[in-house]
Amino acid sequence: MADQGGSQHGIARTSRVRTEDQKKRDLERIQKYRELEDQVRSYVSRGDYSASVFQLTSKLLRLNPEYYTIWNVRRRCLISGLFSRPSAGSSCSTACSNTSPTATTTPSSTSSSSSSSAATPRGPASQTAGRSGTTAEASSSGPEASEARGDSNCDAAAAAAAAAEQQDLSTIKTELSFTIPLLLESPKCYWIWSYRLWILQQAIQRLRSRVSRQIWEEELGLASKMLGKDRRNFHAWGYRRHVVAQLESATLQGGSMVEAEFAYTERMIHTDLSNFSAWHSRSKLIPRLLEERGADDAARRAFLEEELSKIREALNVGPEDQSLWYYHQFLVLNLVYPDKHPVMTRGLTTQDRIAYLTREIDEIKDLLEDYTDVQLIYEGLFEYTLYLCQLEGRQADAGERADLVAWLGKLKRLDPMRKGRWADVETELGLKEGRDAE
Amino acid sequence: MSQNFDQLPEELQLATSAHVKYIQSLDARKDEYDYWLTEHLRLNGLYWGLTSLHLLGHPDALPRAETIDFVLSCQHDSGGFGAAPGHDAHILSTVSAVQILAMVDAFDELETRGKGKAQVGKYIASLQNPETGTFAGDEWGEEDTRFLYGAFNALSLLGLLYLVDVEKAVNHIAACANFDGGYGVSPGAESHAGQIFTCVAALTIAGRQDLVDKERLGRWLSERQIAGGGLNGRPEKKEDVCYSWWVLSSLEMIGKTHWIDKDQLIAFILRCQDPERGGISDRPGDMVDVWHTVFGLAGLSLLQYPGLQAVDEVYCMPKSTTARVLGR
Repeated sequence: MADQGGSQHGIARTSRVRTEDQKKRDLERIQKYRELEDQVRSYVSRGDYSASVFQLTSKLLRLNPEYYTIWNVRRRCLISGLFSRPSAGSSCSTACSNTSPTATTTPSSTSSSSSSSAATPRGPASQTAGRSGTTAEASSSGPEASEARGDSNCDAAAAAAAAAEQQDLSTIKTELSFTIPLLLESPKCYWIWSYRLWILQQAIQRLRSRVSRQIWEEELGLASKMLGKDRRNFHAWGYRRHVVAQLESATLQGGSMVEAEFAYTERMIHTDLSNFSAWHSRSKLIPRLLEERGADDAARRAFLEEELSKIREALNVGPEDQSLWYYHQFLVLNLVYPDKHPVMTRGLTTQDRIAYLTREIDEIKDLLEDYTDVQLIYEGLFEYTLYLCQLEGRQADAGERADLVAWLGKLKRLDPMRKGRWADVETELGLKEGRDAE
Repeated sequence: MSQNFDQLPEELQLATSAHVKYIQSLDARKDEYDYWLTEHLRLNGLYWGLTSLHLLGHPDALPRAETIDFVLSCQHDSGGFGAAPGHDAHILSTVSAVQILAMVDAFDELETRGKGKAQVGKYIASLQNPETGTFAGDEWGEEDTRFLYGAFNALSLLGLLYLVDVEKAVNHIAACANFDGGYGVSPGAESHAGQIFTCVAALTIAGRQDLVDKERLGRWLSERQIAGGGLNGRPEKKEDVCYSWWVLSSLEMIGKTHWIDKDQLIAFILRCQDPERGGISDRPGDMVDVWHTVFGLAGLSLLQYPGLQAVDEVYCMPKSTTARVLGR
């Protein structure tokens, strides 16, 4: 499976022979670690998810943030005590049944089982029957509850709900702080990211939406911070997309952030032209961006021209950079396959698209004046020339054919690693040198 | 590459016996701190080690009975498996459990001494998101195309794929596709070689390779090979032995393995092995681990390195196992 946790990356190979001192030190650490682990397991086996075991999970997770079961124990501690309890018996609570599938259940219902996975708070993905969690347990004392009760005669309940919210807010903030140093140390640990998102989900369920929103807004700062440290960290990019989607949602009374996110990709690209993660993100944001701008055909065309000119400038300084070429391909695909990628090219005639593509080919040819031995330039020329023929609904003419043969020759010479691919292309297009055109 | 092992120059020799010993030693390192820190990967580790041994032609180098006992000791009443006794059930360890039992031909023991195949299938099926078709890793809801692939892998080995909504899952994978032909963790996410393996393999299991843009994807995958012969997982990233599996198996599935330089990749993987003490690392000179060991060996197997057993590019298990289990 594609789980990289626990594997060694980038750690220099050393002699695996340990000194006596190192062995002794290892044994001490093992003993301390296993004692801690035994303590947690002992609590869990008794179904005890009290503050005591919660404290122990903090210690253990600081030693080993990959230990997913301990993150789960921590979740169960929060659900079964540290978060405010559902206000059972309140006559007002029926007004606010929480329909979110992530509504949690109390794990104590299965506390007699040593099999911790038998305690079944439901994930958003699992609404199938057969779990021990019941909907009754999911009745909420959450934010909507207190709002619904605001003008009711349930003053006492409202006060209790406000106190509960304070308690939950404080717990959520503490949990978010707890994970920060762990994330900074292990920025690629899936379990920490996933736990943090679970805590944020709790904010949605337990706090009034404007309070919850403040919590979520701060997450953008974290995503930026993590991407500042590693611009390609796909965990952090994914986290950012998730946070943005939540902030845009009606649940958090949000609105579109597409302009801001587009501007963010601009800044990231400005910092590092080679950041394909940012270019990728840009390619995904464009459709919504143009839609929300209410862009007419002319505006879309202007937008396309601007993107083309931006990437062309980048290619002028970095023609060896795959990231740039991939984004250029994205734009060209928009020209060549308007049915599949209609966003930027809406309203362009075939002639328009041919003109744009021809211009790109000419610009790339200009690159050859400065760079004679860059494989990606020839690859671009080769591919785009075929696209041009395709758009014009014709075969390559004699001049183009000579070019294709020459460029393919360059590719074979400059890029022998992929000679199998060039051979396939050659056969497929009938470009074998010295062979008559078919 | 020469088909005769003995005629290979020394730097191209696979240190088979050192690798076997290395894997056998993994469970005897209880005096090392890392052994305890990695317990959450124990069942995965057993799968990685056992697969390595099978590919190396030493399938019996780990004791079969103890292997089965350990796997069954990780199972919960729900049917799911944890990484080790006392660890919560998760799809990642559940898939490893199924793969191990498949390799040692012990599904019958799962019936008689475990909770039974049907219960495992039920556990996995319960993790499918009925709205989007993707899968969560466990009851806490983290979703990822890794888990979707894991579900398809294990369920198909168990003959229980019908328990889930395959079409919906397939649609979800299609939604993860990007313009470059690759796939990400979820819709909107950047193409990543690891996720491409999971998505293309899941589509292959579902019989829906028609959805893959093979030309574009093959091109992107072949461009993962960089100077030095190794493969990276995304544009402008460093090479790493594990991509010898994720990239190469994907190329194999779409019939484009010949689009990269096989000999250079073989040489790169072999430069990452520790010829004396066994094991393979991410890059030459780094610490070895069983994870890079199995993916290095599986890569070499796909590259038809002499003497290795054939690996199934969809399941990352010996072809002899998948042929037996899937009745091919």
